[in-house]
Amino acid sequence: MDISSDESDDWFMESLNTYKDLHVFQLEHPTKVIEWTGDKNICVAGYTGARSEILELLLPLKLYAGENQGLCAERDFKVQHGGFSEEPIESLIHIPGTRCVVTSGSFSTTLQIWDIGGDDSDVIKKTGVINLKSTSAKGSKIAPGLTDEPAVLHGSCISEVQLTEIATGRVLYTVAKESSDSVSGLQFVNACVFLICASDGSLLMGDTRDPSTCHYPLEDSKSDLHWAFGLRTDGSQSEPSCCTVARLSSSGHMLLSDLRNVQRPFCQTQLNVQHNTSENDFLNVCWAPVLDRCLSVSGFDGTVHIYNTMNWSTEGQSPQPVFSHRGHEMSDEAKYSGSLPVVTIHSWHQSRPKTVLSAATDGSLHVWDWVDKITDR
Amino acid sequence: MPDIKVTPLGAGQDVGRSCILVSIGGKNIMLDCGMHMGYNDDRRFPDFSYVTQNGRLTEFLDCVIISHFHLDHCGALPYMSEMVGYDGPIYMTHPTKAICPILLEDFRKITVDKKGETNFFTSQMIKDCMKKVVPLNLHQTVQVDEELEIKAYYAGHVLGAAMFQIKVGLESVVYTGDYNMTPDRHLGAAWIDKCRPDILISESTYATTIRDSKRCRERDFLKKVHETVERGGKVLIPVFALGRAQELCILLETFWERMNLKAPIYFSTGLTEKANHYYKLFITWTNQKIRKTFVQRNMFEFKHIKAFDRSYADNPGPMVVFATPGMLHAGQSLQIFKKWAGNEKNMLIMPGYCVQGTVGHKILNGQKKLEMEGRATLEVKLQVEYMSFSAHADAKGIMQLIRMAEPRNMLLVHGEAKKMEFLKDKIEQEFSISCYMPANGETTTVVTNPSVPVDISLNLLKREMALGGPLPDAKRPRTMHGTLIMKDNSLRLVSPEQALKELGLSEHQLRFTCRVQLHDPHSDTDTLGRIYTHLKSVLKSYSIQHVPDGTVIVESIVIKVTASAEEPNLKVVLLSWSYQDEELGSFLSTLLKKGLPS
Repeated sequence: MDISSDESDDWFMESLNTYKDLHVFQLEHPTKVIEWTGDKNICVAGYTGARSEILELLLPLKLYAGENQGLCAERDFKVQHGGFSEEPIESLIHIPGTRCVVTSGSFSTTLQIWDIGGDDSDVIKKTGVINLKSTSAKGSKIAPGLTDEPAVLHGSCISEVQLTEIATGRVLYTVAKESSDSVSGLQFVNACVFLICASDGSLLMGDTRDPSTCHYPLEDSKSDLHWAFGLRTDGSQSEPSCCTVARLSSSGHMLLSDLRNVQRPFCQTQLNVQHNTSENDFLNVCWAPVLDRCLSVSGFDGTVHIYNTMNWSTEGQSPQPVFSHRGHEMSDEAKYSGSLPVVTIHSWHQSRPKTVLSAATDGSLHVWDWVDKITDR
Repeated sequence: MPDIKVTPLGAGQDVGRSCILVSIGGKNIMLDCGMHMGYNDDRRFPDFSYVTQNGRLTEFLDCVIISHFHLDHCGALPYMSEMVGYDGPIYMTHPTKAICPILLEDFRKITVDKKGETNFFTSQMIKDCMKKVVPLNLHQTVQVDEELEIKAYYAGHVLGAAMFQIKVGLESVVYTGDYNMTPDRHLGAAWIDKCRPDILISESTYATTIRDSKRCRERDFLKKVHETVERGGKVLIPVFALGRAQELCILLETFWERMNLKAPIYFSTGLTEKANHYYKLFITWTNQKIRKTFVQRNMFEFKHIKAFDRSYADNPGPMVVFATPGMLHAGQSLQIFKKWAGNEKNMLIMPGYCVQGTVGHKILNGQKKLEMEGRATLEVKLQVEYMSFSAHADAKGIMQLIRMAEPRNMLLVHGEAKKMEFLKDKIEQEFSISCYMPANGETTTVVTNPSVPVDISLNLLKREMALGGPLPDAKRPRTMHGTLIMKDNSLRLVSPEQALKELGLSEHQLRFTCRVQLHDPHSDTDTLGRIYTHLKSVLKSYSIQHVPDGTVIVESIVIKVTASAEEPNLKVVLLSWSYQDEELGSFLSTLLKKGLPS
């Protein structure tokens, strides 16, 4: 599929009305991580080269100028810190309240610990490693712990998931379940309770005070599908009852469940997305942190779709997105390169309700503040 | 070891005062002579005392090169040449030469006439300074003197901006000035050939940024204009006659056409005349698309954009006006601003930088009340938008340029070293070259290893081959003898005979002689005979002659024997050889000192 010049121009003209702010950047190397390290900072990292860069970027200050936005001409990203990794970066997480990030790559058998640095230097330095049980860290997923002592929950398959203290490398907890299912994602619900989503869509809920876990397999799981999940919590001390988990399959099937009753999703629907990718590496579903019950999906093509789940019926037709960001496939680069980029990752701004960051396989990185046609008019 | 020295004299991170001294092959060059726009005191000019403490600038500098017309790159020029004193050549491109004095005069007016500063350069000084300017074309190699040559490359950025290659013998430096690696609506992207300079000196003001796309900057501009026009407001866009004005006009024209908008767009008349004049002169400096358009029509023949008349400012309803000057310090843009400032429906879009002391500068600093002439105050109620359309290379652009020019060393000026360690590491690792970031007044010395080519005469090569032995292996060094002639900037290796002939000298023979004492009880003739036999057995492949007159000759070496007057058994052997047979001569003398075999 080719994007014609006209289509691209039309989109651009339309963007005057459909976005409050729109900034389009081109990274040297594409990233599949966008991790917040502060209110105005993100980390990105290359995943394509044997040697990759980790960058901490300061968002365009124009976004933060408030009433004086007109007087602020600063609309560029500033590279505040940078470092070199010896392997492509598969995942990267920031430990809240610190200047520490942990990464997993595709070569080594360890997780890397980095100090992203302060004002005295702009170099991101490797400060340590976490050795892993298995021989390969490939596919290792990481989640930050929510306790006072910095720790990470990590693993590439269910039976290997463990909680490791960063300072000492001490293993604080190990999942006592024999399963070689690969981990698609994991996240803490509160200081002790965590959730793991397996690639086949099944969920595991565990508690770091208790080695046993509850397993919730899908009722009709198809083996060739890959699943991603997104968890909506209300801060760090969430009760499981307030949490909603969204699961998205590589065929565009979406399940919403309440943590009080994980086994029975309260909503199932089929999204109208392109799903010809069998091995979907970029599948991503996120809940909006500020807007109530809004979620976003990407990884199927060059688009990020935003849905309002409020009006999803339990067994309805395909819901319509409230907004679709088509910027990646409408860029000048995409027009001339022949193949359309695929969105690798997207992330909501933590405090600006409708600001989203997204990156694609062509190295593009977009910051956009979208307009809701219904509520903003 | 030959080296190149680079010393930045400028300062500042934002709008600095670019000025860099380069010493290369015994030549001293000043690159740019900019002014810092944030200061009113001495700090606004580069620190010329670095040079003048040891004598006059004219004696020290071989030439001055200006990269483009922005004041942070040329603002201190009249001060340097007319007040500090410099009479040597100043090189810049034709467009820079045309536009630079206009900007300097504007700036002088603001500083002296508006702000009442004294001790500043005068109009006459600007004129005198410009008389020292030698204009040059792109890709034209200019010979500053017999050894120093410079060449300009296209830098994008603004009309006439250039990067410069400076070359002395085999050593070279490239200075980028400000440049842009992505084309825009009226300029192309910077380009340089794979010239492999010893040092690439690049601006690094934007070295740690990732630039927002041009398209999004334009989008914001259109959005603001459109919103204002839709609500019935008026938009004032103060512009400098050249550059952005054309770009923004092309953009608005396309937008109006597409959206079928009816609100009138005007441009002030002075602007079109000036701009057309310069664009006609310098059309080759713009991009392909503009060049094509220009053939078909005048730069300012737009369907939707009409010439402005001052009476239009009071017309009711929405409109958009482009007016000069760009910093709202005088003229039409200021007049219109005064009329429209009180209405919050209106908008002022500042597309560029404003120097201190101008109305534009005050407004961009958020000032809401302005004191006008005659004690009147002007309340600023209209919306103000500051939009930077400046075209600079960011981190990626710098990497692209390094890939293009393939320098042996990289030097970044105008940045905070502490904030550029990562970039330095990145450059050093990716290209395996050294990267330097000198502070102001700090000198970076880069040792160069220029390879010196020598022409070898055919005769000499033929002779070398005739001497036998295996033919020279191209990959192995081999010793050759000859005479090196350094003449007319070239080196030649020729045979001694040819050198003598060329230089008109006569040949002198240099011979060494040596006496060796031998205890030998035989007669002189017998001793010589014994020497002959001995040498025959040692030097098998040499031609050795026993001449009847009582000498033995080996190559050019002559050997005679005489008896000592006091002691008949002590023989004195006389050896004499020419300079060419030094090796053999020494060998024989050493051999004979050991005595003859009995």
